[in-house]
Amino acid sequence: MNPTRHLPHYAMILPFAVLFAAFFLYPIVSGFYYSFHDWNAATAPRFVGLANYQSVLSSRDFARAMTNLFNYIVITVPLGIAVAFGLALLVDSFTGAWANFFRSVFFLPVVLPAFLAATIWRWMYAPNFGLVNMVLGWFGVASVNFLNDTGKMLYALIAVDIWVSAGFNMVILLAGLKNIPQDLYEAARLDGASRINQVRYITIPMLSPVLFFVITYGFISALQVFDVPWLLTGSSFTAYGGRRSALLFPVMDMMGRAFGSVHFGEATAYGFILTAIIILVTAAMFALRRWRTPK
Amino acid sequence: MIASTCRAAILAASVSLLGAGAVSAQELQYWVYSDFAQGDALKLQEQFISEFETANPGVKIVISGRGDDDLTSGQVAGAASGTVPDVFMNGLAVGAQLVDVGALANIYPEWMAMPQEFRDQFDADAIKSCSPKPETMYCIPYTGFGEIMYRNLTVLEAAGIDTKTPPATWKEWYDQMVKVKASGKFAVPDQTQVFNSVASMYAIQGDKAKWGIDFASKKTLIEQEPMARTLQMFIDMAPLQSGTSRNDQATKDLFITNQLAFHVVGPWVNPSYEQAAKESGLKYDYVLVPGGTAGDHGGIKSYEIVGVAPGPNKAIAWKFAAYITEKKQMARWAKLLSRYNANAAAMKDPDVAALPLIEKSVEAVKYAVDVMPPYFAGTVPNCYRTAMTDMASAAADGQYKAEDGAKELIANLNECLQK
Repeated sequence: MNPTRHLPHYAMILPFAVLFAAFFLYPIVSGFYYSFHDWNAATAPRFVGLANYQSVLSSRDFARAMTNLFNYIVITVPLGIAVAFGLALLVDSFTGAWANFFRSVFFLPVVLPAFLAATIWRWMYAPNFGLVNMVLGWFGVASVNFLNDTGKMLYALIAVDIWVSAGFNMVILLAGLKNIPQDLYEAARLDGASRINQVRYITIPMLSPVLFFVITYGFISALQVFDVPWLLTGSSFTAYGGRRSALLFPVMDMMGRAFGSVHFGEATAYGFILTAIIILVTAAMFALRRWRTPK
Repeated sequence: MIASTCRAAILAASVSLLGAGAVSAQELQYWVYSDFAQGDALKLQEQFISEFETANPGVKIVISGRGDDDLTSGQVAGAASGTVPDVFMNGLAVGAQLVDVGALANIYPEWMAMPQEFRDQFDADAIKSCSPKPETMYCIPYTGFGEIMYRNLTVLEAAGIDTKTPPATWKEWYDQMVKVKASGKFAVPDQTQVFNSVASMYAIQGDKAKWGIDFASKKTLIEQEPMARTLQMFIDMAPLQSGTSRNDQATKDLFITNQLAFHVVGPWVNPSYEQAAKESGLKYDYVLVPGGTAGDHGGIKSYEIVGVAPGPNKAIAWKFAAYITEKKQMARWAKLLSRYNANAAAMKDPDVAALPLIEKSVEAVKYAVDVMPPYFAGTVPNCYRTAMTDMASAAADGQYKAEDGAKELIANLNECLQK
């Protein structure tokens, strides 16, 4: 085996490898190092062992952020995928220009910058004058304070998140739908299967690899939720999470510890705890899929 | 022939580049709040820069506007990487963080080297805020505010309230709020949502000297009894408020559309209300925030600061900082924006002092409580702010009685500081 034979291949991946090492590997490794140190980015890091991890895990904000995250995920992930699946079926039922039109319309929120989407929704949610309250007013419903009523803030966020993400999931599911052989539906129709049964016994099983991707991606995205609640609550590094921290999520808490309190060691420990959770959830999903896949 | 031409061209380019380097300007990075880097404010900043550059040939100032979070994170990250801007603005409340990361130079020697006449221009309390210990000074106080209370006169008149005399005490103010609510409008925004509005309300009922932290013992200075009185105000106001925070655009919209009677906030909302007065006939005025007793007043005060970074440009950066904060510039700034600042001499300039918003702000600052003292003594952890707003909201939601809430809040604040 001649090592020089592969030299051009290594040379071709070198630019990627250098950038990956500089912007991913090095930050991960140095972040892991700092997670065991008290460090404010300016003075020399001081080794504190597991104190940063202990501090994060024992803090009230961590518990609150995790509770919010759990509530958010159990609603957002299934509901978001159900909406995206419904939209994909809807768009799939159209052909030609209409299909293109609906696909573009539903995808539009995905390409909208998060700050713009959040700003639009802040206006729509505004008490008394917001579009949502105006519509509710037509039906005699009193003004709802979507962004400050702690009982409603989470649902207001979920609505925005689903609005933003449904288009992306829809496009992926739509691509999966297009790959399902039409003769399966024809055979089912000949056997007298209803539309619902066709979806249940053909579409969903045939889409399962795509659905697995969408669900896994949905979980990972939901675990990292940050920009929309940050913007909806008008958060800053020193005050975030909205009224009574009803929209406090782990990444927000991590950012606040880093740039609000200048506790970078604690913030990196937070990041690794969150990473561990994401890896565990993803691994559990892969294990579940392997277990459910017929041998 | 081609090779020799190329060699000559490369040499010529090298010489010109070297020459350019030899005469290149000493460049100072100057970071300001984003609203100071747009419109008329930017034009005036550019004028200051132009004047300074003319007086100091070879110096070039590059101004850059940043949002609040970008300012702080950029300065923190800049300090870590050695690229902190040479001169910059920020808030007093984040001063300790900036000192911790080494973004702020001690400018005490430069300050003391200035003529007494220059030093005497500034508000003594504001200078004290920048000087946490002897022979140490981390900033020059710049623009600032004392909170005032905007009143929607249409809403008040519709509620049968005589607007000629503003409420002098909490009791009078509360009575007016009840009348406003009875007339079907909102009295105030939700004062529990933002740390500053909690501080503002505390200033009405609490001991102002005790609003702060003892960083040495890691304990809050706030005492239970005045805090209980403050929480009781939130409980009383709960049925009267709009549910929006004082900073929400929705609050301004409610005020402008005659749905909200009172808005306690800084002078920065005045341009919006002034515009609404011109365009849609909004009838409003601004008065001092009522106090617990007649003759006293509530509200908060704070300052933006101008800081200088340590490093090779420190001397010229200080010179520029001193130039922009000097009376003549601060008077021009105040006249343009009708905004209070820490240059007391500029505030006494007859043209400035005659501006109604400044006149009221100067008065408000005398009574207001500092938002987060002591400055530069220690970083206030985020959990301190959160504990405060959470308890204020919980009390307003009826989950705590004022006394119980105050007791638990003080325990929470101390627990947060001990971490």
